[in-house]
Amino acid sequence: MEQDIKTQTLIVMSVAIFATLGVVAFVVPFANQNTRLFFIMVVAVLTGTNVVGLLTVWRSSPTIVDEVFLMTPSGMLLKHYTRRLRPDQDEDILAGMLTAVQNFVRESFDEAGGRLNEIRFENYDILISHSKNIVIAAIISTKKPERLRDQLRTATDDMEMQFGEMISHWSGDKKELGDVDLLMKKFLSGKYRK
Amino acid sequence: MDLRDILKKVVLLGDGGVGKTSLVARYVVNKFDDKYIATIGTKVSRKDIQIVKPNLIINLRMMIWDILGQKEYSKIRSASLSGAQGLILVGDLSRPETIRSLESFWMKEVNAIVGRIPTIIVGNKVDLTASNSMAGTILESMGQRLGVPMLLTSAKTGDNVESIFSTLGELLIADLITKQVATKEKAPQSLAEVVDFIVQDFCAQYGDLEKAMLIIQHQFEDAGVDIRKPAKDTVLRALDGLAKAEELSLTKTVARVNLEERQRMIILAKG
Repeated sequence: MEQDIKTQTLIVMSVAIFATLGVVAFVVPFANQNTRLFFIMVVAVLTGTNVVGLLTVWRSSPTIVDEVFLMTPSGMLLKHYTRRLRPDQDEDILAGMLTAVQNFVRESFDEAGGRLNEIRFENYDILISHSKNIVIAAIISTKKPERLRDQLRTATDDMEMQFGEMISHWSGDKKELGDVDLLMKKFLSGKYRK
Repeated sequence: MDLRDILKKVVLLGDGGVGKTSLVARYVVNKFDDKYIATIGTKVSRKDIQIVKPNLIINLRMMIWDILGQKEYSKIRSASLSGAQGLILVGDLSRPETIRSLESFWMKEVNAIVGRIPTIIVGNKVDLTASNSMAGTILESMGQRLGVPMLLTSAKTGDNVESIFSTLGELLIADLITKQVATKEKAPQSLAEVVDFIVQDFCAQYGDLEKAMLIIQHQFEDAGVDIRKPAKDTVLRALDGLAKAEELSLTKTVARVNLEERQRMIILAKG
């Protein structure tokens, strides 16, 4: 969110500056045509540099994952990771209700058995990725959920490959869960790569 | 003493209006309004209980899925039933048809979707009927026939409601206890091995290794335990001191359970 505000401020300032320079280039009477052309070229180069800079800032800013729920398809919470302290939140109940909502949507709207992959709510996006034995739900508050989708898919596939079999027989004993933290914390950083 | 955190999914089923939601409402952690049952067909709440066994403490968290009781909504119900590990079937003692449908409808549906799982049958609204009513008798014979525990409860007075969770909790952890007993059979047998086991166990439960070792050293010295060649009477004396330390760091119940288990191990040890 903070990163987006900075980018928006930069865009507004840049547009204002270059609009002013553009007006100056065409309105102010220059001594000769070469001077005017030189001024317009300088403005064009500066504008181009600025656009490239803004794109670089946008591309390099990380997508912030606020919370991650690692669950079974039946709605049992295996692990919960969060950046925010929300004392009133009960993560086990939330994971169950999130699954109940998915069940409701699937049974109500999709006869073919599709899945709910995304929920949007004001400033939040909840991205959900499913595999045979694992469901990962990521709550993000930045405005670039599309950048996280591939990471989420990859993380889910990796989790399924490493822990899917164990989770399919999981008795509910938290001690039996393997070391899932490494993969999930990497995903929480917003820079998950295969 | 071993500590385990166990999570189980429990479904709450029965005909509409039998009092499923009211039955558990005051006894579980609720974060969502009851209207969710009518809107999305399910509401999830949780119930935490602690079960203390001779050498095991289990913190059992039951996620209670309260599912819409209208029989017509079978699709949404099937999805919610998926992965259930425990079942609470509730009937209304003042409406015998709701008692009969526990076996003829609900049990069959659960068996078809998740197979046979630990189950408890509950006859609710006992405050409205006599406990020896026809419905109560049907329920009792049903429980015997199916081999599952049966309880008569009242959501209004709270009678027996906590027993639902404690009884089901025992059923849910039965496998774990069996495993634990099997592991226990391989427990150390010589007195030196038992003492070593107790030292490790005390440290693990105390948390702070350094402080735990100081307490052990102090108690062993006081009781006159020769660590190279321990004698049963001195070790038993030291156990009393360790239990007192655990009363302060853990709870009285845990300390007492630990003490009894350790005393038993020392008495049974060879040497």
